[in-house]
Amino acid sequence: MSVSTLASFEYLERLPGTTFKRLYQQPSTALAIFRRMLPHLAKTFVMALLYMSKPFPLTDLDLWVNSDSKRERDKALQLLSRLHIITVTAPSRTDPQTITLTKNFGESLRQALTGGGEHNSFGVPSNDPVSGGVDLAFLDEYARDQWEGILHYVVNSVGEAMRGGGQGPTDAVKHLLEAGRLVTTGRHSGKGITQAGFSFLLQEVNAQVWTLLLLWIENAEKMELDSVEVLSFLFMLGSLELGRAYSKYTLTDSQRQMLPYLLDFGLVYIPRSSSGYFFPTRLATTLTSDASALRSVAAGFDAASSAAGGAKGFIIIETNYRLYAYTNSPLQIAVLSLFTRFKARFPNMVSGRVTRKSVGNAISHGITSDQIITYLSTHAHPQLAKRAAIQGGPVLPPTVVDQIRLWQIENERMKATPGFLFRDFDNEKDYESCRKYAEEVGVLLWHNDKKGWFFVTRVEQLRDYIKSKKIK
Amino acid sequence: MNAVDGSEHYEAAVEGPAPSLLVIVLDTNPHAWALLAPTLPLSKAIANILVFINAHLAVNNANQVAVVASHSHRAVWLYPRPPSSSEDVEMIDGISPQLHNANKYRPFALIEDSLLSSLRELISTTTETDISTTTTTQMAGALTLALAYINKATINYSGISTDTKAAPNSADTNEPVTGLQSRILVVSVSGDLAHQYIPIMNTTFAAQRLRIPIDILKLAGDTVFLQQASDATKGIYMQLRSPQGLLQYLMMAFLPDLMSRKHLIAPTQEVVDFRAACFCHRKVVDVGFVCSICLSIFCSPPEGAICLTCSTHLSLGDYGAKPAVVPRKKKKKKKLNGSIDTGSARGTPAPGE
Amino acid sequence: MPRAIRGVLVQCDPSIKSIIVKIDAEEHAFIVEELDDQTLVIKENMMTTLKMKLDEQLKETQNNDESSSDE
Repeated sequence: MSVSTLASFEYLERLPGTTFKRLYQQPSTALAIFRRMLPHLAKTFVMALLYMSKPFPLTDLDLWVNSDSKRERDKALQLLSRLHIITVTAPSRTDPQTITLTKNFGESLRQALTGGGEHNSFGVPSNDPVSGGVDLAFLDEYARDQWEGILHYVVNSVGEAMRGGGQGPTDAVKHLLEAGRLVTTGRHSGKGITQAGFSFLLQEVNAQVWTLLLLWIENAEKMELDSVEVLSFLFMLGSLELGRAYSKYTLTDSQRQMLPYLLDFGLVYIPRSSSGYFFPTRLATTLTSDASALRSVAAGFDAASSAAGGAKGFIIIETNYRLYAYTNSPLQIAVLSLFTRFKARFPNMVSGRVTRKSVGNAISHGITSDQIITYLSTHAHPQLAKRAAIQGGPVLPPTVVDQIRLWQIENERMKATPGFLFRDFDNEKDYESCRKYAEEVGVLLWHNDKKGWFFVTRVEQLRDYIKSKKIK
Repeated sequence: MNAVDGSEHYEAAVEGPAPSLLVIVLDTNPHAWALLAPTLPLSKAIANILVFINAHLAVNNANQVAVVASHSHRAVWLYPRPPSSSEDVEMIDGISPQLHNANKYRPFALIEDSLLSSLRELISTTTETDISTTTTTQMAGALTLALAYINKATINYSGISTDTKAAPNSADTNEPVTGLQSRILVVSVSGDLAHQYIPIMNTTFAAQRLRIPIDILKLAGDTVFLQQASDATKGIYMQLRSPQGLLQYLMMAFLPDLMSRKHLIAPTQEVVDFRAACFCHRKVVDVGFVCSICLSIFCSPPEGAICLTCSTHLSLGDYGAKPAVVPRKKKKKKKLNGSIDTGSARGTPAPGE
Repeated sequence: MPRAIRGVLVQCDPSIKSIIVKIDAEEHAFIVEELDDQTLVIKENMMTTLKMKLDEQLKETQNNDESSSDE
């Protein structure tokens, strides 16, 4: 239910191979996927293969990789082939297994590194004279307003009809939020936030953007937009530079069609609809960045909000679970009320208490204790931080942090993992080798040697393995 | 309805690897490149290195790169360009036409442009007297610049990360404190660097303390001290037999950062030359004299038996006996036994028995 | 020839497992295989129903102390 940043890419993994082929034709896409989706070791493999003229024998790869890291290696290879980045030749007795980069991906990535070609996939800067007043601060402010407008809408759908700043999202966005079940519009209960909406609210901005974009892509197919086009356009946006104007004319028709939507999301800024250029905002340029770079988003937003008069940290939480939040932003209050029971509200401050029930409530909505703790600590009042610095202790009272974690664990009575149970092996040797293989590729979850049974999360590799064994 | 099921909460948090800073020290010794030109001209090497830099930047959005040229008489920054503060460089020069090229990822184009123009500048400002007066390169200076830059970047980086958190890094958030992972790559073409023995070893030990690996890619020549530098800092040392394949070597051996090196078997030196250079004549010595007070090394007993570094009066004992077979060690003079022939990878040369 | 059976692996305390077994005893609609004290395999499509039933059961047993410990 909760969509983590990386999990949002599971959407990509589900795409068919032909889609990948088309996606990889754009160097910007190849670069973005390489940078954003691959685990570290996989990137290393790709780079080593990139300028290799001959197929790379798998046995050589084994020599290169530390024997302790076999699991990481297999994981990397597995993901690479799932994303159609490498092809591994089928095992056969005559030829050794080799790996190569798929043609499209290799070519595009090489082109991304060296430049050249006529793909224009990194955006054409506009040569038109740019109207003044569009600087980084302005773009940040604009993006923040747009995005907070969307968040306000999601929050306000809880029913607390508080007037937020900003004008609120457009109908298209509202429709999208409903289609994605982040909010519901039941005829009897009025508008309401869903569980997905709750966890959406507590995500990082980047994850939120992706969640919304993926919803949009899924819906785009209904709107007769090509999902490949949409994706490669997004990846292109991710490679643009903040604060520069880019030409609209070089975009394809369907890309130009997308611009209004992205405008609604706050991903791009267009001064006047007639002008021939657009500015990507920080939301867009960090689409394909990873966690560490995302801090700059937070920094940018912090800057924007402090310029708007808000303070950075506003939450004080005491060891007795009382919470004081110096804010009057309905968004922040609404987010806090997801896991706090509020008792009093003052013009500039709300006070309440974190209780077992309130946290339990949040957890039942799919919010994790870690999310709550991170939220509290990132928004901790400077006073808390100052005291922590003087005493050398943590920012949040440890008792509260521990208790919130305990409250989560207390209701988690089981762990469920879908997968496959393997049983009835002909002999122990077969069982043993299959179990070992499953363990090596990292899919083994449970095994019982006495019974000769084991449980795996994924079956594809193991099936191939069993097949190849049976051939022999 | 999912209240009883905790599975979702156990999804492993994906923590992106820490960004890494790669400082490339490029040996631009004109003499050495002139010799190398038939197999690998400088322009081609630069092109390869640029692809390598782009690859490094492609790996992680927050990855950084810096390039220092170790020239004949000076060490010069190629990227980022001095003297304007490094962060602003990208904003300042945006005039070059190729920067408007939509077929190239802009950060790549920026670096390429800046690197090439500063390299051109460096070459055009090199006078004939510069070339004729020396045949070596200012490696020690370049390494020092690199270390200074890494230090600055590390402070900057941790400064930013605590700043945006609005609080000094709290111990209770379970986020592992990951700083900038730095490493130095020396692309070396020059030979003997004995006259810079002391500064090079000093930078090596500084790097060792800071856990910054110094990778050495040797295109030509052979330098004892760079071997030692990579050995002491657990870097990679490679002497290319075919410099034409530079790019593949770079991509395969030198691109993996500290994180992925844990999973890989790095190419290592079989034999490390542990010889030192004497402090008096800058000669590489197998066996020499060591001041018992400050451990300075001399190829022959200094004049008047007074140490040149610390001015201690040294008594020479029964100097004249064959050093390698002197059995006692109680004297002021210790004999340094080069471990070159043992071929072991031990960190320090063991004094002879 | 080994058999592969699709399902959901549930890992829990023995106490929770016994509740699941009890729920299953009514119509045998959930459990594919009991593996050991703390693990069993459940039919994939029945997972949500099972969770709901389990939740109900847990609420019955836990309700008393919940209201007293809060506030």
